[in-house]
Amino acid sequence: MNPTETSEAILIVENIETYIGQFYILEGVSLEVPRNSITVMLGRNGAGKTTTLKSILGLTPPREGKVVFDGMEIHGKRAYNIANLGIGYVPEHRAIFRQLSVMENLKLAERKRGDFNRSADFIFDLFPDLERLYKLPGNHLSGGQQQMLAVARALVPQNKLLLIDEPSEGLAPILIQQMMEAIRKLSETTTVLLVEQNFIMASQLARDYVIIDDGMSVHNGKMADLVKNEPLVKEYLGASVGKLVHGGDK
Amino acid sequence: MNGSKRKKLITIAIFVAIVGIAIFFSWRYVGTEAFIRTSLSGLTLGSLFFMVAAGLTLIFGLMDVLNFAHGAMFMLGAYMGWQFYTNPTFIFGLAPLVFAFATGLMLLPIIKPSLIRLHLSDALTKGLPKLAYVLMIVLLALGLWGLDIMNLADTAMVAITTSMISDPLAEITAQEPLAAFWFRPVLLFLAGLAAAVGIAKPGDRTEFATHDELRRDAILVGALFVATVLLTIFRVVLPEWVLLMNGNLRFVFAIVVAVIFGFVFGAVIEITLIRPLYKRSMFIVLMTLGLGFVIREVVQVLWTPLAYQMVRPPLFAQQGKAASVLEWLQNGNATLDIFGVTFPTYRLLIIMLGLAMFLFVVILMTKTRLGMIIRAGVQDPEMVEAMGINVRRVFSIVFALGVGMAALGGIGAAPFIPIQPLMGDTYQMQGFITVVLGGMGSYVGAFIGAMTLGLARAFGDYFALKLSLSPAIAEASTVIIMIVVLLIRPSGLFGKKE
Repeated sequence: MNPTETSEAILIVENIETYIGQFYILEGVSLEVPRNSITVMLGRNGAGKTTTLKSILGLTPPREGKVVFDGMEIHGKRAYNIANLGIGYVPEHRAIFRQLSVMENLKLAERKRGDFNRSADFIFDLFPDLERLYKLPGNHLSGGQQQMLAVARALVPQNKLLLIDEPSEGLAPILIQQMMEAIRKLSETTTVLLVEQNFIMASQLARDYVIIDDGMSVHNGKMADLVKNEPLVKEYLGASVGKLVHGGDK
Repeated sequence: MNGSKRKKLITIAIFVAIVGIAIFFSWRYVGTEAFIRTSLSGLTLGSLFFMVAAGLTLIFGLMDVLNFAHGAMFMLGAYMGWQFYTNPTFIFGLAPLVFAFATGLMLLPIIKPSLIRLHLSDALTKGLPKLAYVLMIVLLALGLWGLDIMNLADTAMVAITTSMISDPLAEITAQEPLAAFWFRPVLLFLAGLAAAVGIAKPGDRTEFATHDELRRDAILVGALFVATVLLTIFRVVLPEWVLLMNGNLRFVFAIVVAVIFGFVFGAVIEITLIRPLYKRSMFIVLMTLGLGFVIREVVQVLWTPLAYQMVRPPLFAQQGKAASVLEWLQNGNATLDIFGVTFPTYRLLIIMLGLAMFLFVVILMTKTRLGMIIRAGVQDPEMVEAMGINVRRVFSIVFALGVGMAALGGIGAAPFIPIQPLMGDTYQMQGFITVVLGGMGSYVGAFIGAMTLGLARAFGDYFALKLSLSPAIAEASTVIIMIVVLLIRPSGLFGKKE
């Protein structure tokens, strides 16, 4: 652990290349996530955003490139080792454990005994619904509740970085608002790398952005600049999003 | 979702109703006395089926592995327990060697962090593990040179002739004196250490080692080392001490030894043979199938293909019928009067073992963290790993548990069926039918399925005898039940729809 490497960025991804089976999915993704802020990964469907998250976490280990977390090279390590360094993961499609109750889902996320007791107040403060549903099995929850549980699960241990994959996917507008509030609140105490298709949500939450296109990182910078750059948004995220940006400016 | 649940409940209700009606009519038809006796026999068989099926279904549920060596592992459990019970020289003769090797191997997590930090040239990094493995084989060969395993295992006559009346020590196998033996554990320890060095990949910077569990590992190695030394010193005395022990206590120890053996054997098999094949599930089927053959052949070499009868522990051996449970516990009668039916007491023990194991599995799955991890892992092992849980280790533990349960079934069945290399095969077949009937991966389904099949088998035998049909009808009955259930519910009684 070289102290000089412990820079402002908690996570540095350098030119990672990832294969899934025979398929060359990531062809060179680089990004930096500054501490105590929200960074959003943008890009079309199938651009490689989810694979990037999974590569950071070691679920689909990169074949080339470097991943440095908190000053420590983590590429090539086993996923559970990486997670235990303090990375929480909220997968897409609300992948909670449906056979387990809400309580068991949260308890399972403990890394040390008592993790859940320490963070319970914070979690139920963010998502009051979950306290009410505490004993229900996961498959009895609505989509929104499942998504909240998926996020809450990542908050049980003290994580230094949260990887959150499409938290707004398939949620009703009112729930999207609630989810945004929650993510903003938790970014006060930790760092978030967010994948988000909902551009409005992304632009309101994130400070920095990185655009992934065809398995490569093509642009990064401050979110505030991207919102003004309509052609860039149109080029990589599609015309409809471009319109949304325009609409959002009004 | 609710609709499918209701449908499931209805099918299960219909199933229960059919079974209930079948039970009622067979009771009316065969009369109370024969009905109770046949039912108890059926539950005995069902318990044995469950002990095989529980491991199969847990392993399949979590890892999608069909273990075709399960019957062979059941058989190994029986042999190990029986050896411990009738002539433990084989187990105590080999234990120091196994423990010595394990002590060396278990140094792996302790030496790994410093080994991978070594600065070695590329050629050395590549070559050193291979060199270590060669060294391991040489050390193993030297350590085992001239060791008369066959003589240790040659307990055939002992097993047949040793009874409780004669001197149990008369037939004990002679062992090599300590002065000629001591170097073997030392060499095996070094062989284990060489293997550990090979696995650690010295100088490989991409390897990763944590210091988190160092203290636990050190304690484990220390315990193994002490056990190795003690087992080496008392190698000759321990078997005599075991044989002079109270027979019931010895049987309890035999069960413990068989289960521990099964657990460790399962863990070793999972780590060395199954783990490299998870990405190729078809290979796992072939591998376990082949492993079953290998185990059976090795057992045949060691103990010849003869069938042995294990002497029942004293609690179940006395001639004569006990009128009550209390009388049985006092005198150790072989049979017991249950509602006017004379029933072997040993079979009651098997039913108890089956029930105890079901309880154990239920508590494990619903009340413990490991059970929670297993249930979560059945759905999404990747996400479990992403939460910081070592899924590979969980797989090893579950496989080891499953094999441990099979070994328990084996030693439980040993005083009740002939001990021979193929004894597990019928139970494996019935175990698979049970798992399919109950629903792949469901332990409740395995229990209900096992009991149903056991009863069907027992009543099938009864009717075959009474109506002078071929006894094959009893064997076919289990398959017929499976086919009928699968036609109505393709995923089994408690299975989940894919």
